[in-house]
Amino acid sequence: MSTAPTPFGSVAEVQAGLESANYICSTQIATAVYLALALDKPILVEGPPGVGKTELAKTTAALLDHPLIRLQCYEGLDEAKALYEWKYAKQLLYIQVLKEQLGDVLAGAKGLQASLERLHEFGDVFFSEDFLEPRPLLKSLQEEAGAVLLIDEIDKADQEFESMLLELLSDFQVSIPELGTIRAKGPRPLVFLTSNNTREVSDALKRRCLHLYIPFPEAPLERAIVHARVPEIPPALERELVAFIQALREKDLKKVPAISETIDWARTLLLLNAEQLDSQLVQDTLNVILKFQDDIDALTPELPSLLAAARKSA
Amino acid sequence: MDASLQRFISALRMAEVRISPAETLDAFRTVDRMGMENRQQLKESLALVLPKTAEEKLAFDACFDAFFRFEEFSDAPPGASDGERGDGDPSGEGEGSEGQGGGGDGPPQGQGSEPRKSDEASGDPAGDGPPGDEGTDPFGDPGPGPVQDAQSALGQQLQQGDRAALALAVSQAGEAVNVAGIKVFTQKGLYTRRIMDALGQGALQEEIGTLATQADATARRTAAQLSGLRDDLRERVRDFVERQFLLHADADGHRLREAMLRHVKLSNVEHRNFSHLKRLVEKMAKRLIAAHSRRRKKMRRGQLHVSRTLRKNLRYDGELIDLAWKARKIDRSKVFAICDVSGSVATYARFMLMFLYSLEAVLPRVRAFAFSSDLGEVTENFQRMAIDDAIATTLADFSGGSTDYGQAFDDFLRVAGSAVNSQSTVIILGDARNNYGNPNTKALREIYDKAQRVIWLNPEPERSWGSGDSEMPRYRASCHQVNVCNALNHLERVISDLLLAVR
Repeated sequence: MSTAPTPFGSVAEVQAGLESANYICSTQIATAVYLALALDKPILVEGPPGVGKTELAKTTAALLDHPLIRLQCYEGLDEAKALYEWKYAKQLLYIQVLKEQLGDVLAGAKGLQASLERLHEFGDVFFSEDFLEPRPLLKSLQEEAGAVLLIDEIDKADQEFESMLLELLSDFQVSIPELGTIRAKGPRPLVFLTSNNTREVSDALKRRCLHLYIPFPEAPLERAIVHARVPEIPPALERELVAFIQALREKDLKKVPAISETIDWARTLLLLNAEQLDSQLVQDTLNVILKFQDDIDALTPELPSLLAAARKSA
Repeated sequence: MDASLQRFISALRMAEVRISPAETLDAFRTVDRMGMENRQQLKESLALVLPKTAEEKLAFDACFDAFFRFEEFSDAPPGASDGERGDGDPSGEGEGSEGQGGGGDGPPQGQGSEPRKSDEASGDPAGDGPPGDEGTDPFGDPGPGPVQDAQSALGQQLQQGDRAALALAVSQAGEAVNVAGIKVFTQKGLYTRRIMDALGQGALQEEIGTLATQADATARRTAAQLSGLRDDLRERVRDFVERQFLLHADADGHRLREAMLRHVKLSNVEHRNFSHLKRLVEKMAKRLIAAHSRRRKKMRRGQLHVSRTLRKNLRYDGELIDLAWKARKIDRSKVFAICDVSGSVATYARFMLMFLYSLEAVLPRVRAFAFSSDLGEVTENFQRMAIDDAIATTLADFSGGSTDYGQAFDDFLRVAGSAVNSQSTVIILGDARNNYGNPNTKALREIYDKAQRVIWLNPEPERSWGSGDSEMPRYRASCHQVNVCNALNHLERVISDLLLAVR
């Protein structure tokens, strides 16, 4: 049984640590971070956009004081951009230099056989680490003090890329045909993968990860988050705002507001020196939380009743 | 713990949470790390390791709560009052009102209470019935008063009322009789009795019988108290078996039914099973989608993409190091489904259409046609309505009328003939029984020549092809592929082949 030494003694410590870095989270999330560190496993984080998946990785990196290495996935991402590439230009230069030096190197060698042997003595410099350009995945293995690797929106990448990741995620090593296998130099990096579930991530990948689903937060948690992020906001406004957003999430909208929108809205209202929500104010700032005109149009007639309900439950 | 975690995982698997051996190992490491003391923490940790989709998380939550509930056996047993009310309702024949005895003042027999296989274990032939009654009844109610200590092991344990120990004993007895092996609900009584026997019911029964026939009031009171306690225990054991059944067998039965439904002839499926079939079709479709949703990029190796190569190699000073090849994405072919919806074949048409339209994600261009005598396109129905409604409308519009394949092929060519090309797959579903009309093989031939593939699915068994008015042998010559297709698993195979071929 592996019991790697972890910087945290318990789940509660993780939670407190994240909280001190202004990331308010449920115990489920803290448990995930704790277990990932304890079991050396990547975490696959799923959930609707804007619930703080990426933020979790950033905060954890800051908390552990490790560099955050980020790889944003997109269609067509391949290993040349994710893993490594050869420095072709440098290789070309090397060839030119070699050409010029060839005379000196081969001076005194008689016949083809002798020249070749002389050349072999130089070793295979051409494909060596000097000519290797590390990309994020390889870089995370090369960090000697450990790192946090964030593979963002894995669902956007192709299936082939996912398969390529498997070796890295299960054994924390990558194979480069010309060099052999490269293992993590320091402690294994803590890997976060995020997915918005635009497509089902393959079973093989899921099997290698802890699976964390972050839903929209409950009202008390969301209030705590708003309070941590926008501490200047008046408490009454904070309660109303969260109640209003929670009510919005029940509606049939194209895109319901996430936590990031709640925080943006709180900041907006603060800028406008609002003391409490009123119809006109909400109408004017609705575009901060709703990103589709259709949604705004659909909601406008319902605003007064929603507001009243929010005020009541706040 | 190891064993119960293992059992928990198999219960999860029953609930259709897919768990690999590697994940099982992870679960053990997790438990090792997190400990068992904090139930909520255990649940949250295992929820990270075992279930891997949102649906699986729901199943996990339910399963966890059901599985680990038994540890909390102690609260309020069914029908029994709360412990110490030594003399409550005087008329009570025992039903719990006599109390649970000393509520834990005796030393807990705890670990020592291994399931006792009593010598007289088969003392209760009637199983669930309350066989103690004939012993207590004739002597009436002994009234309140002191009771004596029971002699039998189970009796002592019941009198001590150490609920945790009892719970442990029940669960150990359950293990001894392999209650996890329960398969169908009719076995509940059987397992309840076996567990009661394993707990030592026989000896207790005998004691109650003996005590009840004695003249001494204390003895009779004891008998009444014991039989009340025994009934409580039986209730609890029945509850326990019920939960085990839900955990271990219900899904099994479900799976059994699914396996059966896959193989049964579609026309024999009863109407009430249609909803199951529908779910099954959705499940099969989902699997096919997962298997085929990879987008294929086909490289045409050997054709250099000159301009891209030049652009790509500009950075190397124009030396051509990295070559670019022409790649093209394979165009998905169109599928035309022609369904005979007359009487006997209608059921098959229903499920094939359901299947095809469940595959929209990987098979986006399906055009559907229905006929019995005249043929018409019904694609729009499926785009506008939910699958069920679309099928119902289609059947209402086109079924009825005598089958005329010749006419149908002509109509098809007229309606969609120009759209059929070398990338099209035409699926024809029908029994080829043409009522001795003109088979019009020429029309089918024309479709055959135009299309990439013509697949004929016939619900009749192969030996009856060609008998009576079946034109199958003649049509067969103009098809690339002919299959018998009368059960869901046939349909799945054909469609899986289709997906491989067209993409």
